Amino acid sequence: MTFLNAVRSFIIVFNYFCMAFTILLSIIYIIQMFVSLFRVRKNYSKNFSDDYLRYVDSNNLLPISLIIPAFNEQENIVQNIRSLMKINYPCYEILVVNDGSTDKTGELVIDAFEMHPIETAIRYQIPTKNIRGVYFSKKYPNLLFVDKENGGKSDALNAGINISSYPLFTCLDADSRVEKDALLKLSVEFIKDSRTVVAGGIVRIANGSKIVDGELKGFSMPKKLIERFQIVEYYRSFLSGRVFWSATNSLLIVSGAFGLFRKQTVIDVGGYKPNTIGEDMEIVVHIHRYMRKHKKKYKVVFNELSVCWTQGPMSFKDIRSQRRRWQIGLMDTLISHRVMTLNPRYGAVGLLSMPYNWIFELFGALIEVIGYFLIPFSLIMGELNMFFFVMYFLLAVMLGVILSEGSLVLEQYTHRAAMTARQSISISVYAIFENFGYRQIITLFRVEGILKYRKLRKTWGKIKRKEFEQ
Amino acid sequence: MKVELISVIALLLCLSIIGIEYILHYRLAEQQDEHSIREQNMTRRMTIRVDGILRAPTSSCLESELHAMSEDIGDDFEAYEIAVNILRELKEKRGDEKIDRLTTALQNEVDPVRIYAKMLESGDVYHKGYAMRRLADLGAEEFRDKMIEGLESKNRDLCYNAAMSLAQFGDVEHVSDYLMSIEDDRLYSGRIINEFFDDFKGSRAELAESLFEKCNDYMKSTIIKALVPYKIEEFRPMYLEGYAGKNFGMKVACIKAIAAFGNPEDEQLLQIAAQDKEWVIRAAAIRGLSLLETPSALKSVKNALRDKEWWVRQTAANAITSMDISPSDLEDILGGYDRFAADAVKAVLYKKIDSLN
Repeated sequence: MTFLNAVRSFIIVFNYFCMAFTILLSIIYIIQMFVSLFRVRKNYSKNFSDDYLRYVDSNNLLPISLIIPAFNEQENIVQNIRSLMKINYPCYEILVVNDGSTDKTGELVIDAFEMHPIETAIRYQIPTKNIRGVYFSKKYPNLLFVDKENGGKSDALNAGINISSYPLFTCLDADSRVEKDALLKLSVEFIKDSRTVVAGGIVRIANGSKIVDGELKGFSMPKKLIERFQIVEYYRSFLSGRVFWSATNSLLIVSGAFGLFRKQTVIDVGGYKPNTIGEDMEIVVHIHRYMRKHKKKYKVVFNELSVCWTQGPMSFKDIRSQRRRWQIGLMDTLISHRVMTLNPRYGAVGLLSMPYNWIFELFGALIEVIGYFLIPFSLIMGELNMFFFVMYFLLAVMLGVILSEGSLVLEQYTHRAAMTARQSISISVYAIFENFGYRQIITLFRVEGILKYRKLRKTWGKIKRKEFEQ
Repeated sequence: MKVELISVIALLLCLSIIGIEYILHYRLAEQQDEHSIREQNMTRRMTIRVDGILRAPTSSCLESELHAMSEDIGDDFEAYEIAVNILRELKEKRGDEKIDRLTTALQNEVDPVRIYAKMLESGDVYHKGYAMRRLADLGAEEFRDKMIEGLESKNRDLCYNAAMSLAQFGDVEHVSDYLMSIEDDRLYSGRIINEFFDDFKGSRAELAESLFEKCNDYMKSTIIKALVPYKIEEFRPMYLEGYAGKNFGMKVACIKAIAAFGNPEDEQLLQIAAQDKEWVIRAAAIRGLSLLETPSALKSVKNALRDKEWWVRQTAANAITSMDISPSDLEDILGGYDRFAADAVKAVLYKKIDSLN
């Protein structure tokens, strides 16, 4: 067999592999979507009779520490703290952890809330970088400002955990906004089932939406195409994927922007892993590993009715940085906890979720990109039948549309749509268009993340985001 | 040919699914729009009606405004809840007792029991559960049988809501039967017991007694913990007995309950408990001792500031600042060799003093 023949055979085999892979992935996604559809409908009805608002006066509601790690967040930090002070929750504290910011983050918070240094006892249950000072305000007694040496987001979160007083904590991004009742809905998960150790909420793209004091006041279509695509993308990722994995208690990620944790469990696993980009995924996988290893009963849940708003990146430069970081975070976590993969000891996490993430979320991007180049190449070489190529392409696009459109239907079921019917239908057009260019570009960014894993895994990317409309 | 045919069929199938999704999406979006518009209109209308009622110059005007509002509400529970919420918000803003009278008048005019009774008859399990709770809030005893029927349901949520509604009526027999039915489900029963004892409108002692007769130790200790804030004197001997026993969960529950009484007779027992090898018991004992203003109790709380367990030290720091401690004692702690005791007390004091300013 000549070298050319070998290449030709490889191309043919790879073409079939790519086709089978795409179709299998789409089928998995569609199964996820249907399971999610039933769960979302059921949860919505259940939420009605649960009447979560009655817990506002209940003694059973657990108090929460809201930890906001902040590094050079001078644009958003004060506004975000003010919005958090208006959330509907009976007992909570806000801990702003300044991770050695080089801008005016610290001064702005101290001045805005009239804070002064206090001496306080810190229980160092997780080792962190030196804490330089703790500030307290007599005007806002549930607010603490913690000034510490720079050690990264994980280190800032660990410092927040050490200082926090309450049994539950949530990590919030300084540039996100939590809806008024979101924490109440999430913490009810801990009351309803005492096994719950982590509960994640849905993160929505705020571009175009007007959010005032944690309440959505209106929506106008964002100007840039990239922002519109992200709206569809977030619905798909949260409403389809996470609802499904939560149903099998093998959800591997709770968004770094909004998740509620049982503090003792996080302390038991040693806190957030320092020097990692994907600390939000790492902590959840670590909790799964720890709980299953020690044969403890636990639950990691996703609540699609608890909403946190975040401004999505507005340029390809920023979205590239974001997706690269996500992919590096995924890869880092999967490598760190590789022993769990296909290990029956870890149940559905080891047998379903980990292999799925390795094959489809991590290497899937790589296979997809190789396919982008090899399939047209083999078409030109005459190794692929034109009919098959067209069919394959159409099927891949249609399966993608089914999934995205299905997520928009799910969004309507949760009755959370901020949009009017016309806006909602027009956004669904982007469920089709995203398959022609946007999806491919995003996949390329993901592959770049894999290829630059070693180089970028300890660096931080700062994304320029739009400020929230007031 | 076969593969080509399959591909075309798959393509057509995908196209039809997309079509169905788009139709469903469009219908749901339209429904959502209609719902939002209706809600906005209803809120606007109810706000105008409430304003009209508040400004009504004569009682006959008031009556006719109330009647008009009732007609607007009709059988719509959402409209009724919007109206009640507007009144509640007004009450919070103005603190006016007139608002309470208006709410009662509105209830008499609209007859919300009729609205929720309809929901109870025709709704799904979730609507039934919701209706039961609202009927119980409205004190509609005539639906008690329906609620008892709900306890037999296979749906866990409906059973819970039915029992919760009966708790509002203080129904010892059925509530205790319900709680016994979930006795072995430890992950569920813990919070349920707390919720039921919080919301129970009858005699909590009677409910607890009927459960103590038949429940296991786990449930018993959970009930004792749930009863801590109510300080039921008649159970004191049982608490003392439980603390002397060997069941750890029971010991913890009982010491917490004993500590809550702040009874000088229990000081000796609390002093012994403050030396226990388990920190949960020590922390509970310290909380109890802090309620007693005796020099020996103060001494024990001061000693607990040096406890090896963080929570006990923190409890002691919180407790000592609320006790009648002399300035010299406080200075001793703040300037003493024990850095942690000083820091813990300082932190509590900073917050307390700042909050008072």
